[in-house]
Amino acid sequence: MILLPLSVKVVFSTPTYILLAIAVAIPFWILFNVFDQLIFFEPIWIFYLPDDAIVGFILTTIISILMGMLVGMNIYVIRNSKLKISKASLFSGSSLSIISGVCSSCSSVGFLLISTFGSIGVIASNLLTIYQIPLRIVSLAILIFALYYIHKRITQSCVLDINDDNSMGTEQKYQKKSDT
Amino acid sequence: MNLRSVTSVIMTVSAFGTLLFSHQAIYFFFEDAGKLVVIAQTDSTESQFQLSNLIEQGSPYLGNLSAPITIVDFSDFQCHLCARYVKNTEPLINETYIQTGQVALVFKHLPNRGFDSMGAHLAAQCTNEQGKFWQFHGLLYEYQQGIDSGWANEDNLKKIASQVPGLDIVRFNSCFDAQTYKEFIDSDVKLANSQGFFDTPSFIIVNSIDGSDPEVIRGAQPFPPFESIIEKKLDELKK
Repeated sequence: MILLPLSVKVVFSTPTYILLAIAVAIPFWILFNVFDQLIFFEPIWIFYLPDDAIVGFILTTIISILMGMLVGMNIYVIRNSKLKISKASLFSGSSLSIISGVCSSCSSVGFLLISTFGSIGVIASNLLTIYQIPLRIVSLAILIFALYYIHKRITQSCVLDINDDNSMGTEQKYQKKSDT
Repeated sequence: MNLRSVTSVIMTVSAFGTLLFSHQAIYFFFEDAGKLVVIAQTDSTESQFQLSNLIEQGSPYLGNLSAPITIVDFSDFQCHLCARYVKNTEPLINETYIQTGQVALVFKHLPNRGFDSMGAHLAAQCTNEQGKFWQFHGLLYEYQQGIDSGWANEDNLKKIASQVPGLDIVRFNSCFDAQTYKEFIDSDVKLANSQGFFDTPSFIIVNSIDGSDPEVIRGAQPFPPFESIIEKKLDELKK
């Protein structure tokens, strides 16, 4: 049995968020694989996974799934505004997920730099190609951090206002009355 | 808070989405621009890709001169995707179509993946002078490491060349040191760019006899896309 974190259980108990996560993950997965030359649309539609691309493929697949989850969880937080999440955390969570995703496709974007920026482009492209796997691992680490951050926000942001009778359960109300 | 946060998230997602899709758009723009160039230059392109002309110019080739179809391969020895193609796809093309005399494969130089690439291509063309190009080509992709990591510097290229059986190393060194084929390689690069090829590997598949009916394949694609184009061309030629 797989033990899922509480935040994941809470958010993805609603089919809308599962669909949202899938809707985010699939386009990114396709884009990453197009950049990595694992999916081709011309002259025929084809996907193939050569030996040298397996590690990169596994990393981009995990990154795509985590990005989908993170965006879904962020949207959940936005919609459930009573959680009182700060602007900064919300922004950083989403930003981190997107930036890390873009980072993992940097190697391909880098190829474009060659023709655009001449020698500097060559150097940039070379660095991005050489450090493609480490960059993706960094992206993954950032995503995991962002997920942990949003998990903490979802699970620890319930604020109980002791002055508000409506926010208390029966037991708490009873306790308050007996105190007075 | 909500409205601002939602706006900021939407803006962030939009910004990065735009970045990603603009990259794709630029890629497709270049791709389309390349096609336009191909269309605009069809007349001159046909003779440029005629198999007999390619061989006369001194381009390395594999296969039978009477093969009805020619694959022109624009590659870089430092490009890891080219190595992927050489390891996974080229052997299947060779076995299925080149050895059976149906296809000829011509190599064109497109050094664009680093500062050591030009040296590797100069060396490779020097080995072609002695009919040893494909052995050297195989060794370069076998020894390929990170771009400009030193594996393709002058000394290492000479060491790799010395492993090619039957290569006259004195003649090779003289050719390589004099950069004999610099202009030849530059003209290959110009030809590639005129076809809209800036990335490696890129391929153009034509009818050998006159270089007509060009079909383009971009990237280190597996065997089936090549098979589909070649079979289609073979069927058309039979009619």
